[in-house]
Amino acid sequence: MKAQDYDVKEMPQWCPGCGNFLTLSAAKNAFAELNLEPKDTVVVSGIGCGSKVPHHIYSYGYEGIHGRLLPLASAIKLANRKLTVVGMGGDGDGYGEGVQHFVHIARRNYDLTYIVHNNQIYGLTTGQMSPTTEKGQKTKTSPFGAIETPFNPLANAITNGATYVARGFSGDIDHLKDLIKGAIQHRGFALVDVFQPCVTFNKHNTYDWFRERIYKLEETDHDTSNKDAALEKCFEDVKTEYKKLPIGLLYKEDRPTYGDQLPQLKDKELVEHSLEIDMGKFYREFE
Amino acid sequence: MVNFVCKIGAKAGEGVMVTGRMMCKIFSRGGFYVVGYPEYPSLIRGGHNTFQVHVGDSNIYCQRDSNDLVIAFNKAAIFFHKDFISENGAIIYDEKIDLKDQEIRKDIKLYPIPLQKILEDLNAPLKMKNTILVGATLALIEYPFEKLEGVLKDEFSRKGEEIVKKNIEVAKSGYNYMSKNFDISGFRVTLKPVSDKRRMMLTGNEAIALGSLKGGLKFYSAYPMTPATSVLHYLAAKEREADIVIKHTEDEISAINYAVGAAFAGTRAMTGTSGGGFALMTETLGMAALAETPLVVFLSQRVGPSTGMPTWSEQADLKFALNASQGDFMRVVLAPGDIEESFYLSADALNIAEKYQLPVLILNDKFLAESSFAVSRFDESGMGIDRGKIAENPPKLKKMQRFKRYKVTKDGVSPRTFPGQPNGMHVATSYVHDETGFSSEGFQNRVDMVAKRNKKLKNLLKDLPGPKFYGPENADITLVAWGSQKLPALASLEVLEKEGIKANLLHFSYLFPLDQKKVKQAFKRCRKTLMLENNSTGQFAGILREYTGVKPNFMFLRFDGRPFFVGNIVDHVKKLKEKGYKGLKMAVFRETVNHEYYYPAKFGV
Repeated sequence: MKAQDYDVKEMPQWCPGCGNFLTLSAAKNAFAELNLEPKDTVVVSGIGCGSKVPHHIYSYGYEGIHGRLLPLASAIKLANRKLTVVGMGGDGDGYGEGVQHFVHIARRNYDLTYIVHNNQIYGLTTGQMSPTTEKGQKTKTSPFGAIETPFNPLANAITNGATYVARGFSGDIDHLKDLIKGAIQHRGFALVDVFQPCVTFNKHNTYDWFRERIYKLEETDHDTSNKDAALEKCFEDVKTEYKKLPIGLLYKEDRPTYGDQLPQLKDKELVEHSLEIDMGKFYREFE
Repeated sequence: MVNFVCKIGAKAGEGVMVTGRMMCKIFSRGGFYVVGYPEYPSLIRGGHNTFQVHVGDSNIYCQRDSNDLVIAFNKAAIFFHKDFISENGAIIYDEKIDLKDQEIRKDIKLYPIPLQKILEDLNAPLKMKNTILVGATLALIEYPFEKLEGVLKDEFSRKGEEIVKKNIEVAKSGYNYMSKNFDISGFRVTLKPVSDKRRMMLTGNEAIALGSLKGGLKFYSAYPMTPATSVLHYLAAKEREADIVIKHTEDEISAINYAVGAAFAGTRAMTGTSGGGFALMTETLGMAALAETPLVVFLSQRVGPSTGMPTWSEQADLKFALNASQGDFMRVVLAPGDIEESFYLSADALNIAEKYQLPVLILNDKFLAESSFAVSRFDESGMGIDRGKIAENPPKLKKMQRFKRYKVTKDGVSPRTFPGQPNGMHVATSYVHDETGFSSEGFQNRVDMVAKRNKKLKNLLKDLPGPKFYGPENADITLVAWGSQKLPALASLEVLEKEGIKANLLHFSYLFPLDQKKVKQAFKRCRKTLMLENNSTGQFAGILREYTGVKPNFMFLRFDGRPFFVGNIVDHVKKLKEKGYKGLKMAVFRETVNHEYYYPAKFGV
């Protein structure tokens, strides 16, 4: 397959230079290299700029409501594990409104890929602070500088049981593509958090700002099977006062998925089970 | 006509519910009609729990106001129930309970049982005292011990032969103690099994779970909340046997989104909750409606608003169900009136949801959810799975072309495709969208799409049955009820007939949408109508007026946490009759005693 095979007629209506374009390209490239059939792929999103992606990838899609993409995606996968299910949403959507789902769905280890367009700001609602906005940053809802400690998605994912935890940068499409590919190939809950500049509302975390600070874990001796080392990397940004930002695969672990542990799905997907049922044995018990 | 009512009372945690349900089974296996009615506070230990077992040789419909026998585990049980014992009734109780400060009517017979001594003699644990009391009760009414033995075997066989043997031994000693130490001929009720016909003993929630299984349910997601939880429990236990997937999610928002996801993928899905959880679900309810993903929501009502009285009954979430979520959209609301309807309507709900691609709500309430009834196996003839319009082989799509999942059709229903299906690619979205699912803010498109969805109403109204009459034609007064209050209303008709009042019942279980014509025709057949509702504002009466223009003549409301009892309804109808069916347009039932099961210590017991 080629990346163009996932194109649709409608061009995304994002700001010129928006990181969403690049993340979308990286995803399409990853899909193409994995030869994902559009009919067997479901892209699920919530609400936000990044959540518009199901409309711009040729596949099945569900654009749900704000913060709720993970429960939707989880059930789609549980119902039919033959599908490749990819969730895509923003930081407000996944780490703010829907954070309880993120925490618990990581624990369940469904075979899902979750790509978060993390621009550290609310874009579609015009520039309020997000859960990942840096401390001190001025936004419309933190006009005197954000007071809160930012949410740490990577550390949260690891401590809650996600089995593939990575961070990409939308300014490096190839690198991001490889992370997304790895996430889809991984059997389990995979988070790819993407540093993605919002050119309109976040004048702080710009492409240049990121380029000066990021480095690739693959180019170090980081051991992706070492949970402690991975957790340490999650806090490097704060520890170095944002001078060093690691990108790449932080942590990977093989653990049975939720669906693998359901004997009723061993031979057949839920959607393949007959809806007809013999009630006799259920009645008997009550008599 | 055989009729026996007994009430078991004890502290929460002493096994009242288990004892009650066991007794129900014992009588149901004797060919009787049985109703089991529990009442309990929102506590795990302490407080006061009760379970009424009502037995009859013809359909008895519901719980009763007074009891022939009270089985008291503690003093609170005597205090709360002694004034609700019928003439020449009896109390079986632990002999350690001090009755000195309890005024008990002279006609009531007392049967103290030395529970501790019997248990010590048999070296049995304290928790088996309920088995003694059941044994003693059966001896008192001369019911064959074998029925109890059979139920004990079935209940405890999983726990091993020893436990079964011990339980039978303990039960037998309770049985023998009663026959040997008391003159049982003094008690006026005896029960002999009437047949070997075995009925199922089912709660409303169990019937909903069974009905949904029969209806092809494959996925159920929920967060525990009384009184909806027992559906989750039952389905979770049957997960492997029934090849279904159950998910206890992190909250109700997640639960409803899981259900939507599973339905979108092509299974039959349902979620269930009570009012507070449904409040969390409302945003997604609208999403399912807009994206036309079939969805069934089971909403079990309890006393509200907010946490309210979690273990008590009310019918006050109807307007909430009808109006939940922003924007205008169509939904179907069903409220089963009894066990059979709980079964059939649940299966039907899954068909309606897929056939019309919209949310369907099943409303019951704590009373029907948790009360148990003896019913015959359901007649499944004529039941089937109707998945509505599915595009089996959609035409080949051109490059970049999407399937028209929301194609404008004559009846408003557009064929569905499921992920994995070739040539069916589309996006489901919570935004207003065009025929392919692509977000659209076009003015004409908006109106076209609303009109498309609204077109479903025409066939829906043809499909959904109107209200049903029960009882004689040409009645002087027609009781009007919806959902669970069918049961006390039906039981009242029989009593009213004996009192010389010709009454019938008009009952609604398909609540919404309402067919104006069918409703108007039904009301034309009534002389005077009395609306019975378990809420403080007459919600359904309001809805009837808004959508059909009909207005019941009288309203009688009860909202203290209990369903109507036969006595309440009969007394009120008699009052109306005395006034020549004039005046008293609106009345509220007020209990004469202020019992409180949450904190019996208030009364010094």
